[in-house]
Amino acid sequence: MTSISAQTPPVPSRDLRLDFFRGLALVCIFIDHIPENYLNYFTISSIGFFDAAEVFIFISGFTASLVYGRTLAVRGPLIATVQVLRRAWQLYVAHIFLFVIFIAEVSYTVKTFNNPMYNEEMGVGDFLEHPHIAVIQAMLLQFQPTFLDILPLYIVMLLIFPVVLACLRRHPLVALIPSALIYLEVQIFNVDMPAYPAGSVWTFNPLAWQFLFVLGAVLGQAETRSNGRARLVEIAYWPALAVAGLALAIRLSWTFHGIWEAVPALFQRQLWPINKGNLSPIRLVSFFAIVMLAARWVSPRARFMRTAVARPLVLCGRHSLEIFCLSILLSVLGHFLMSEINTGFSMQLVINVVGISVMCLTAGLLDWYRAVQRMPVTTARAINEGSGGEG
Amino acid sequence: MTTWGRLLAGPIMAALAGLAVTVAAEGSARADPDECATPPEMTDADAKLPHLAERLNAHQPVSIVAIGGASTIGEAAGSPNLSYPHRLGQDLTQDFPDSPITVTNKGKPRQSAKQMFERFATDVFAQNPVLVVWEVGITDAVRGTDVDDFAATLQNGLEELKNRAIDTVFVDMQFSRSSATVINFEGYLKALHRVGDLADAYVFPRFEVMRYWSEQNVFNFDDVAAQDRSQLAARVYDCLGRKLAEIIRRAVP
Repeated sequence: MTSISAQTPPVPSRDLRLDFFRGLALVCIFIDHIPENYLNYFTISSIGFFDAAEVFIFISGFTASLVYGRTLAVRGPLIATVQVLRRAWQLYVAHIFLFVIFIAEVSYTVKTFNNPMYNEEMGVGDFLEHPHIAVIQAMLLQFQPTFLDILPLYIVMLLIFPVVLACLRRHPLVALIPSALIYLEVQIFNVDMPAYPAGSVWTFNPLAWQFLFVLGAVLGQAETRSNGRARLVEIAYWPALAVAGLALAIRLSWTFHGIWEAVPALFQRQLWPINKGNLSPIRLVSFFAIVMLAARWVSPRARFMRTAVARPLVLCGRHSLEIFCLSILLSVLGHFLMSEINTGFSMQLVINVVGISVMCLTAGLLDWYRAVQRMPVTTARAINEGSGGEG
Repeated sequence: MTTWGRLLAGPIMAALAGLAVTVAAEGSARADPDECATPPEMTDADAKLPHLAERLNAHQPVSIVAIGGASTIGEAAGSPNLSYPHRLGQDLTQDFPDSPITVTNKGKPRQSAKQMFERFATDVFAQNPVLVVWEVGITDAVRGTDVDDFAATLQNGLEELKNRAIDTVFVDMQFSRSSATVINFEGYLKALHRVGDLADAYVFPRFEVMRYWSEQNVFNFDDVAAQDRSQLAARVYDCLGRKLAEIIRRAVP
């Protein structure tokens, strides 16, 4: 399998950074979804005021505008729209799949549940009390229990994307200005998106997060169009370095304060809590500083992304939807094993290593399958026979 | 036996039996002090309760309000008289006989931090307390409230209590193995403890304490018949009340 995927020539125009960083984000999402995981200290969220969610949404916007922008230019708005909607449908199906995992997990636990100290409080898990409503609300993207929150955002982003694309085509500012205004409105007036059950809100407020997605889309277009992006990276370099350095120092001081109280948690009183649901400007600025640095320091075809160490991440990022769903399933299983057996360090290590390996191997398998599928039939057969007729 | 004797015997026997049951229930609802034991470092942080200490040292009456969820009313034990705030009141009354101490229980099931905060005016300030025990976090974790919103609400609540010269002790979430499997408490626990850390307010680590009991098999709900579970819950509440009383006692020089 590996020998075949190694023979497959990489698509030359592909910006490997997109796959690499999205793969990195997926691994971090897996780790962050397991509670009390020591590896949490080493995920993206520990170097600034943002986490894997920003990386995922930004790169998704960037790639969407690359891919569908090209379709729009070559085949017109109708085909581009259909393609975007088809992708949204795939995400929707994935969302339903994750919901089934959630149902399985909750139902199993409740059946084996016999602790009176929690019966009353657990009743709040509305799924248990009103399953008939909760299922419909989940299908409407309105019911968002743990880990069913980022796909609804992504789906909504894609639903509005044909309009964003059309605006981008006229001028980036036509897309950017309305998007920024909505974002500002959320920041100033604290506008929320209501969700189910009554009183709760969307975990990722789409009115706020759309700004990040559109920003990604604008930069994705700039890349295909001109060298505007390179100029931006040039100008923003020093400010970005300062912001990222400051954020890193503050964030590290918080982590160390948590481990050893004598270390002061710098500015924590002033800065914390930093709102994630509404994508606080602090998160946005801290994230963009890192984006600018990454754009400057990592070239699109940097050699390290082709090494054996980085390749699994690139593959995960390339098949992000499948690997994301898998990572959710794996982190649920991991959490379950940890609470059923033990939360010791060696147990954690095993769960992390096995989980990440399964993600990478699956990504490798998917990539191999796609490569074979895309080959002309005769070549594929020849390779199959050459490698000893496996499969 | 005379007719009278026979007539009386029934009710008397019934009354005696009733008394015996009450005594037995009361007896087994109290925990053995050994059962409550946890590693000392788990609860060795010192609470700062200046307003409460001042009142107690001056032998003045003290009003305490416990606001929280189902576990604050003692839902699982079946009666507020078996809840941890009630036990806390009993213990403190013993320790500080010169101050009349009242503990008002304002637990209400299934309430988020925000809903509790909205009840402050009617349920908390109306009692004119000098100490508020704020048991919070379960509903937010179960419902998946935004962690940052949760933290902001706690900060606002704490701020308001501080402005009214009321001391605060937080009580964090309950631990149970099966619920910890479905619900991710970690973020909420961290947020609650960080709020306490930043504002110098004590957070009673109920989650850690109960996890310790669960791991040591001190209170095990798995092998207990359904009708005995409420007694077991009452003993857990008793231990929690005692531990809280211990911490408060230490804060009063």
